[in-house]
Amino acid sequence: MLTLRSLLRPTRRVHAHCDVPCGVYDPEQARIEAESCLRIIEKYDASDDPLFRARCIHVKEERAELVKQHLDVLWHDYFKPEHIEQFPDLHETFWKATKQASKVKQSLDAGAARELLAMIDKVDQMWKGSGGPDKTRVNGRPG
Amino acid sequence: MSPRTGLIRPLLFGLGTTAGLATALAAGGSLRRLDAVEVEGRSMAPTLLPGDRLLVEDWTFRRRAPARRDLVVVRDPRLASRELVKRVVDMSDGRLELRGDAPDQSTDSRSLGSIPLSAARWRPLLRYWPPLRAGRIR
Repeated sequence: MLTLRSLLRPTRRVHAHCDVPCGVYDPEQARIEAESCLRIIEKYDASDDPLFRARCIHVKEERAELVKQHLDVLWHDYFKPEHIEQFPDLHETFWKATKQASKVKQSLDAGAARELLAMIDKVDQMWKGSGGPDKTRVNGRPG
Repeated sequence: MSPRTGLIRPLLFGLGTTAGLATALAAGGSLRRLDAVEVEGRSMAPTLLPGDRLLVEDWTFRRRAPARRDLVVVRDPRLASRELVKRVVDMSDGRLELRGDAPDQSTDSRSLGSIPLSAARWRPLLRYWPPLRAGRIR
C-alpha cells in the first residue's frame, strides 16, 4: 500500500541483484591454494614428525576445499552461457578440476596436486580468453 | 540554465507527479495499486541505480503479459521474500527470460533460469527519487 511514509522511506526493496557485487574474479585465487597443497605434500614427505605430518594433512584438506570453493564461484558466477559457445569444454574442464581438487584433498599424491595446477591453468586460459583480467580485476591482473 | 532552476524543476516534477499519483490512487479505489520501492544493487545500471526510489504499479500486467523490453519486479525464485527488478529480453511458453541492463554485474535468467509469467505482477512506473533523475523509466 502506498502511504506518505512508504514514499518517504520505502521499506520494500527490489534487488537489481548480483551475487558478488564486487565482480572480482581470478583463477589465481584457486591456484594459490592448490600450490599450498603441493608444497604441503612435499613437506609432509620430507618430515618424520608425526605431529607435523598430522598438521600437514589437516591444512592440506582445508586448502583443497578452498580450491573447490574458488573454482565453483568462477564456474557458476563468473562464467555465463555465452562463454560456453566460446569454450565448449568449459563444463568438462571445471568438472574435472573440481574432482581433481577432491582427489588432492583425499590423497598425499604430489602428482595429483601438479595435475590440479595444470587444470587450474586451463581455467585461467578461459578466464583470460573471455577478457577476465580487464573485466574483473582492478587495473587488470597485477604483475 | 542557472543551477537553481536546474534543481527546482526536477524537484517540482518529482513532487508534482508523486502528489498527483497519490491523489489518483486515493480516488481510484483498491483495484489499482501503487507502491514505493527502493533499488539495491547495480545490475540495472545505468537505467536504475542503487538508492533510486520508484513507484511500481500492478495494473499493467493484469491487462497484458510482460513483453520484451519491459521492466518487471519478480519474486526471487531462490528466496520468495526477496524481489528482483530486471528487464524482459525474451518470452516463450509462458516464461520470461530476464537480464540486467548491466549483464556483467547481474545475476539473472542466465543462472536463475526463466521465470514464470505469474511471478511478474509489478511494473516500475517512474522514479521519484533522486529528484534530478525523476521521471519515467524506460
